[in-house]
Amino acid sequence: MKFITIAEWEFKETLKSKKFLIIFCLQISMLFLMIFVFNAFAVNIQSDKGVSITPSLSGFASLDIDDQGHLFTKYINPSLINVQSSDYNNSLQNLNNGEITGFVQVPSDSLNSIRNIDTINVKLYLDYNDPKRSVIRDEVNSTVNIMATAISNSWINSLIPQNTTQIAVNQQSTGQSLQIQILTNAMLAILLFLPLFFFGNMIIDSVVGEKERKTGEILMAMPISPSQIILGKILAVEGVIAIQIAFWMIILFIMGFKFADPILIYILVIITALPILGVTTIISAYSKNYKEAGIGITISYIGVVGVLIIPALTYLSIKSLASNISPMTMVMRIFSGETIPFWQYFIPIVFIFLVTILTYWISIKLFERDDIFFGPRPRLIRLFLELIRFKKNVK
Amino acid sequence: MNSNDFIIKIDSLNKSFGKIKALDNLNLEIKKGELLGIIGPNGAGKTTAIRITSCILQPDSGDILIDDMSIHSDQIKIKSMIGYLPEEPNLYERFKARDLLKYFAELYGVPKDRIEDRINELLKLVNMSHRADDRINTFSKGLRQRIGIARALIHDPKIIIFDEPTMGLDPATAHNIREFIRSLKGEKTIILCTHYMDEADSLCDRVAILNQGKIIDMGTPEYLKSKIHGDIILELKVRNPNNNDADLIRGFDSVEGVNIKGNLFLISLKSKKDIRGIINVFNNDILSVNTMEPTLEDVFIQTVK
Repeated sequence: MKFITIAEWEFKETLKSKKFLIIFCLQISMLFLMIFVFNAFAVNIQSDKGVSITPSLSGFASLDIDDQGHLFTKYINPSLINVQSSDYNNSLQNLNNGEITGFVQVPSDSLNSIRNIDTINVKLYLDYNDPKRSVIRDEVNSTVNIMATAISNSWINSLIPQNTTQIAVNQQSTGQSLQIQILTNAMLAILLFLPLFFFGNMIIDSVVGEKERKTGEILMAMPISPSQIILGKILAVEGVIAIQIAFWMIILFIMGFKFADPILIYILVIITALPILGVTTIISAYSKNYKEAGIGITISYIGVVGVLIIPALTYLSIKSLASNISPMTMVMRIFSGETIPFWQYFIPIVFIFLVTILTYWISIKLFERDDIFFGPRPRLIRLFLELIRFKKNVK
Repeated sequence: MNSNDFIIKIDSLNKSFGKIKALDNLNLEIKKGELLGIIGPNGAGKTTAIRITSCILQPDSGDILIDDMSIHSDQIKIKSMIGYLPEEPNLYERFKARDLLKYFAELYGVPKDRIEDRINELLKLVNMSHRADDRINTFSKGLRQRIGIARALIHDPKIIIFDEPTMGLDPATAHNIREFIRSLKGEKTIILCTHYMDEADSLCDRVAILNQGKIIDMGTPEYLKSKIHGDIILELKVRNPNNNDADLIRGFDSVEGVNIKGNLFLISLKSKKDIRGIINVFNNDILSVNTMEPTLEDVFIQTVK
């Protein structure tokens, strides 16, 4: 269990290091900046009042409604759209002045029309200079669908007097518009997972630093196996990540982001760090110096980001089960309040577990090779063939 | 000698780096409590040999038995028996000296209740108690080397391997480190790689001369010196040197060789018995007479030439 000793010392010395504290503060500042960028984007769509420090998307767009029967108002999502009752003339004036993005007019005799099984013509007026119009259009379409379903069910039930079941229409079941989902769930998930990519340098410093500072020679002379050295180093960085993510989630809460199951989300984010650290360790174990490792990590992180984000974005549009291999998809689903079957949590966890084992195995195999540590390094193709035992390792 | 007297047995060791053969069928045995010096030119394979002995590198073929354990099957046990000090005292710069020793003590598995005492003992031994709570990055090379030695001894190893321990140090610090190594003689088995011939001469029980991955000669410093030059070198500065005088000198029984450099005769002798006769050859033409013992450096230069 010598890896615990290594992890404990590396962790302790990292937290004590002034360099780390400066980097930690810079990372937090950068994440703050991301909130402002995210928020500024939302606020600038909403109005030209400037930057707000309340990044939640409540009142994202404004909509006037002329709905005397209160049929439409009952079903629209008030958390996203700032709804106000108005009449036709005032609303048109507001629309012309750019104070609202849209105006919905529901006929005053709509209740009678329903009773007579007539069509109701709901009219939507949009400001075509306002980029938020698509959000309003999608939201109004969605609300009209909900309203129509509810009214139809109610009418069908009225034909069967013995049926006393109350009609319940769940707004969330129809989902939000794609743009809103991307803004709220995907952006928040990205903000949460972003810090995981800040720790590559710590692993580089820990692993490549042993070669650059030539301290690795004495570490290799210790009665410890390479696997324990690697595990100890990764565990230390994982500990630092755990602290920073907790810190970051608290900041997000304070900044107005709300999400259900924070502990579950925290665990998912923390375990996602494991394969990312594994990939980083492979590159660090093979690299000769910081520069080489830096280039390797930049390239590999593009792939890692793809593996995290692409399934998450795919899930928003087609909701495929396979998209759940990305823990980001799962976090997004938790954000949206979806009821997730218990077994589906195992999809990203198993994926993370398998990638972690594979990457750690490769890192350890590389770290225990003296030709990689002291040179001359074998070429990547030869190394790959040797790793898969296709070619005998000739040292 | 009984084979059990050897604590380290190096058997047919081979190691290449790409196309470069660093060790070529190396064989060597080291006795318990012996201080063996390894000397050789740059690239002779000294560091490779000791890195393999310390289980840092893997050999291409061959084996090393340490206390009858093979480096192929008992690496962890062997590593616990060895204290290794590399050429450069590369230590974790951000650590304080005491913390660094504590870290390595824990990694070597020194019992927790013994660690503090052992650290204090070693800091005193290397005369670093007053800097125990300073960071390594504030130390000079000499101080780092002392902490490096303390680190290598933290687990009280049976075998200590020093790779150029006095390289680049000022004479006073180098002297202190040599004296420290001398104080360990007999108690520990020590391998000392060095470029300083006087260091090997004064400290080592035996010296192995390594060149191109092979041991080309080995023995006590006295044995090696006598083998190359004889026991004494007679240095005569004369007024009118000529080759006839050289031929006359070669006729004496104890003369092993004559070398003329200008008006200087360097005569290697097996014994002192013919010195008077040699001086008489030159009559009154002698300007100065000097006798010298050959150094290990002479041996080294002659051997690897």
